[in-house]
Amino acid sequence: MFKAIIIGSGPAGLTAAITCAENGLDVLVIDEYMSAGGRLLGQLYEQPDGSWWNGLRESKNLYTTAISLGVKFHFNTSVNNIEKRNNRWVVYTEKGTFYTENLLLATGAAESPVPVPGWTLPGVMSVGAAQVMTNVHRVKPGKRGVIIGVNVLSSVIAMELHLAGVEIACLTLPKMNSIANKEGNPSQVLDSLLHVSHMATSPLIRYGSKLLKNDFIKNLGIHFYPKKGFKMWNTPIQLRKAVIEIYGKDEVEGVVVAAIKANGEVVPGSEERIQADFVCIAGGLYPLVELAALAGCPFFLVEELGGHVPLHSEKMETPLEGLFVAGNITGIEGAKVAAAQGRTAGLAMAIHSGIKGLDTEIRHSMDMVKQTRESADIQFHPEIEVGRKRILREWEISQTSKQNHEALMG
Amino acid sequence: MNENVMIICRCEEVTYHELVSTATKYKCSARELKLRTRAGMGYCGGRTCRTMVEKIAQSMGTNTPTETNISLKVQPPIRPVSFENLGRISK
Ligand SMILES: Cc1cc2nc3c(=O)[nH]c(=O)nc-3n(C[C@H](O)[C@H](O)[C@H](O)COP(=O)(O)OP(=O)(O)OC[C@H]3O[C@@H](n4cnc5c(N)ncnc54)[C@H](O)[C@@H]3O)c2cc1C
Repeated sequence: MFKAIIIGSGPAGLTAAITCAENGLDVLVIDEYMSAGGRLLGQLYEQPDGSWWNGLRESKNLYTTAISLGVKFHFNTSVNNIEKRNNRWVVYTEKGTFYTENLLLATGAAESPVPVPGWTLPGVMSVGAAQVMTNVHRVKPGKRGVIIGVNVLSSVIAMELHLAGVEIACLTLPKMNSIANKEGNPSQVLDSLLHVSHMATSPLIRYGSKLLKNDFIKNLGIHFYPKKGFKMWNTPIQLRKAVIEIYGKDEVEGVVVAAIKANGEVVPGSEERIQADFVCIAGGLYPLVELAALAGCPFFLVEELGGHVPLHSEKMETPLEGLFVAGNITGIEGAKVAAAQGRTAGLAMAIHSGIKGLDTEIRHSMDMVKQTRESADIQFHPEIEVGRKRILREWEISQTSKQNHEALMG
Repeated sequence: MNENVMIICRCEEVTYHELVSTATKYKCSARELKLRTRAGMGYCGGRTCRTMVEKIAQSMGTNTPTETNISLKVQPPIRPVSFENLGRISK
């Protein structure tokens, strides 16, 4: 029995663990990866103020702090089920079953797959896998790659690969089909990039916004998007081409790209081959909510947050007593926001376990989440604020109806 | 390689064509599409193809994602578990 159990050792989980431990709770953190940090581990980029965000170092600092406060860790341990029994949360893993009254789900996000013919060949990977290979394990995914999918994440990772000396032949779209309809539509892709143009993190965005500030191009939009694309770090970004096939005998040898119309339709006869020894697929991120679903948490589909998210309060409580959520499971945002949410969740867990006098601190922590969000240098959805408000409104509605119900029942 | 023979569910080797033609023929929900084709019912429990199966059903207009429901139910165990350990859990 632990006072608090945290599933996920990303920035949200680690910060929550530290906060719980600082307030005297004994804490167990469970993660299926072999070390602490979650998706923070792979992050390495220059921030708008010119300093470097080094996720490996940030992770190490958080982990060392947690260890010094007595937090226990189980790595290489997947949680495969959770349930509530006799007022306690039961956490099932292959290494044993654990019990607590305060359970935090900080399981982060997953990548959406976008299928392309030939995508089962060795050498095809998700763009996040290329990030982990390069920045965490320091292994080059290949010599020359093609990235399929143009979005915030893929442009950040393209820059990281470039810095690591890996050539990227181009960033381009997937061919549209029943699955990739948004990702394969140049107008929609351009539109989503336009919305993030205030962000300075990625050269794509910086360059792209410069391009889009030009009224001529903006007015004529995607129809006049340069046929050759534009370049960042010597890497062409092609919004008017799509990969129609990944080819290779036993492994990736290259891709076939074709010109596409503004609506994503392929122009027949425009096919050309690009040689590459690896391919990354970037379909975007969605909150990894499996465990919240098993627990029976109510969900809402909020596009701005990246998909279905568990109902939660600003204090990161769910409607299920003793179950908390923090980080990307509540919506896709950068690591700093996830950490700020983790602190709030940690305080809420301490309060729930009976620690007094934390009211001012948790209010302050909730404000910090907002401030961090406003000044974030990476934003995955332009309307994140709208999504956050939506969930809070749903929470208030659910609380009011609960109170009414309780009043009725006497 | 042609789009139709492209594999969507790697565990059960279900192709894009099989999914799209089944969805077209039966005008079915994501759940029914899964049960008819076995996409998402293999070793990984749908971790890779779940969102794709949902999107195909949605593109047929038969599976409008409900606001408050995840269309394909999540079932334990959410990660592969060895038979030995599965036995231990159910005790
Ligand atoms: C591929 C990818 C790349 C990203 N790149 C960037 C970037 O460059 N910059 C940026 O700001 N943000 C990036 N993000 C967003 C990222 O999610 C946040 O920055 C941040 O890491 C979220 O923190 P978190 O604590 O919520 O989750 P995470 O950091 O994702 O940590 C979640 C942890 O939970 C563990 N876990 C999940 N399920 C289970 C289970 N069932 N059992 C046991 N353990 C489990 C995972 O192993 C993981 O370690 C990226 C996300 C992804 C998926």
